[in-house]
Amino acid sequence: MRKKKPLYLRIIMGVILMVALIFFLFPVMWMFLTSFKTQDQIFSTPPILIPPAEQWNLDNYVAILRDNKGLQGVRDTTIVAFTTALISVSIGALAAYSLARFRFGGDEFSFWIISTRMFPPVASAIPLFLIFRQLEILDTHWVLIIANSVFNVPFAVWLLKGFIEDLPVELEEAALIEGATVFGAFWRITLPLITPGLVTAFLFTFVFTWNEFMFALLMTRRAVRPMTVVISSLAGGHTILWAQIAAAGVITIMPGVLVVIFLQRYIVRGLTMGALKN
Amino acid sequence: MFSSSVTRRRVAFAFVLPAFVLLLAISIYPLLRTLGLAFSSLELTVSPAESFVGFDNFAKAFQDARFWNAMGNTLVLVVVGVAIQLVLGVGLALLLSEIGFTRVVWLTALLLPVMIAPVVSGFQFRVIYNDTFGPLNYLIKTISGGFITGPPWLADTRTALLTIMMTDVWQWTPFMMLLALAGLESIPVELTEAAEVDGAGYWGAFWRIKIPILLPVIVIGLLIRVMDTFKTFDLVFLLTGGGPGSSTETIAFYTYLNGFRFFSMGYTAAIAFIQLIVIIVIARVFLVVQKRMRGGEVQ
Repeated sequence: MRKKKPLYLRIIMGVILMVALIFFLFPVMWMFLTSFKTQDQIFSTPPILIPPAEQWNLDNYVAILRDNKGLQGVRDTTIVAFTTALISVSIGALAAYSLARFRFGGDEFSFWIISTRMFPPVASAIPLFLIFRQLEILDTHWVLIIANSVFNVPFAVWLLKGFIEDLPVELEEAALIEGATVFGAFWRITLPLITPGLVTAFLFTFVFTWNEFMFALLMTRRAVRPMTVVISSLAGGHTILWAQIAAAGVITIMPGVLVVIFLQRYIVRGLTMGALKN
Repeated sequence: MFSSSVTRRRVAFAFVLPAFVLLLAISIYPLLRTLGLAFSSLELTVSPAESFVGFDNFAKAFQDARFWNAMGNTLVLVVVGVAIQLVLGVGLALLLSEIGFTRVVWLTALLLPVMIAPVVSGFQFRVIYNDTFGPLNYLIKTISGGFITGPPWLADTRTALLTIMMTDVWQWTPFMMLLALAGLESIPVELTEAAEVDGAGYWGAFWRIKIPILLPVIVIGLLIRVMDTFKTFDLVFLLTGGGPGSSTETIAFYTYLNGFRFFSMGYTAAIAFIQLIVIIVIARVFLVVQKRMRGGEVQ
């Protein structure tokens, strides 16, 4: 077991966690409560933190899902985010392994990979739009998956490269001596050991794509309408539908929460050298 | 093992190939097109004709006070904002790593800000910061017993940029936290325990074991945050529209204005290139530092 920490540290820790929780969760709670308000209640002074209990209803949720194409939005965003995350982490892990273990292309090549992520999206959006129009893939799931990969593949490569470099190389060497192929060593030794890194990379590429707005707005029309585009359309007219936007926010946060709850045991389990010895 | 035999090289290449092809395919055209435009004049409000103007666009940027203002604002967000995210994120990760079975709940709760799309949180914060109907100033007033009246956060040139920064800190600290936590999880428990048994104490083990092992992961996290903060656009677009005046214009927002409002494509491309160069220089510095640290670790 771990050694007990000094008492003063435990008290300070508790206080800091409480303060952090209030700071990070207040806006989330505000969004949740706003999603049950009427348009009038949003602009009252003093502000209404919690709408009266008897008025709570799901009107805003029904409105967003049924009338404002929210269901389609959730479906499209899920397809795009899940596929982008899967592709980014898979090809990212392969590339990261090559960069970390074979030093493929040296430092310059690694740098080129991360540099593709540095270009301002505002500037790359128009040329990309033109190519995708030429390829006739605008307004499909693939166009967003490809466009989002520009930012997410370099992210996954670099994150995972760090994790692989921290692993002792001896384990893979042992596997190779026992006759495994390089891919076999990668698959059976390296990947299981960098599970926390893989999960972290998956979570963030998923969330980055889930929340992406500019490409989604530019490159989709009718067949595909990601949630962020649906939400922005709620502020398009003369009035901003604050409560519906909040309801949409609560809906869009759900898959991320599920991903964290489902995957976080892999992060928490972590890996220890001690476990490797067995 | 990973010596230079021919088969190994082929394997190394095969591993990198999918990422290489994908990135090359989607980055090369925008890059070349923008580079071409940066040396041209293309004013879409005037005519669709493009003419070569040499370095004029770059010269214009260097004399453009609004460009420098945007650069300055961006640097404030990058330097101060990301530093706050780093300290808070690593601190929280250290706290969480000490917590047992309730950690699932804490971690999930603290990760919520990252999972809310900026499009959504932008609208929430517009109400939260509002000085008439917003809960923030209401709470400040109530808690201080009416003594303190909060500023009009987004409408005052003195607080608007700070407000953007705090929102960015709110959204992205959990990112640094999770990266640091994943890094901490990969530290063998025996190592810290051994150090503590050897009389290093909690803080000794912290500085001598945890921080050095965490550093490579933290540097990568920092690099990513610096790069992304340099591109801050959504929050400015949704919260202030660059105002009041130009007090919250970031360089990405100013690029957007030139491209999508003023339709000055040549100038937009030139500014985009200057940004790219600045980020590349910053990233280089980071990587040199990281390499030094790794080198030091081996000895």
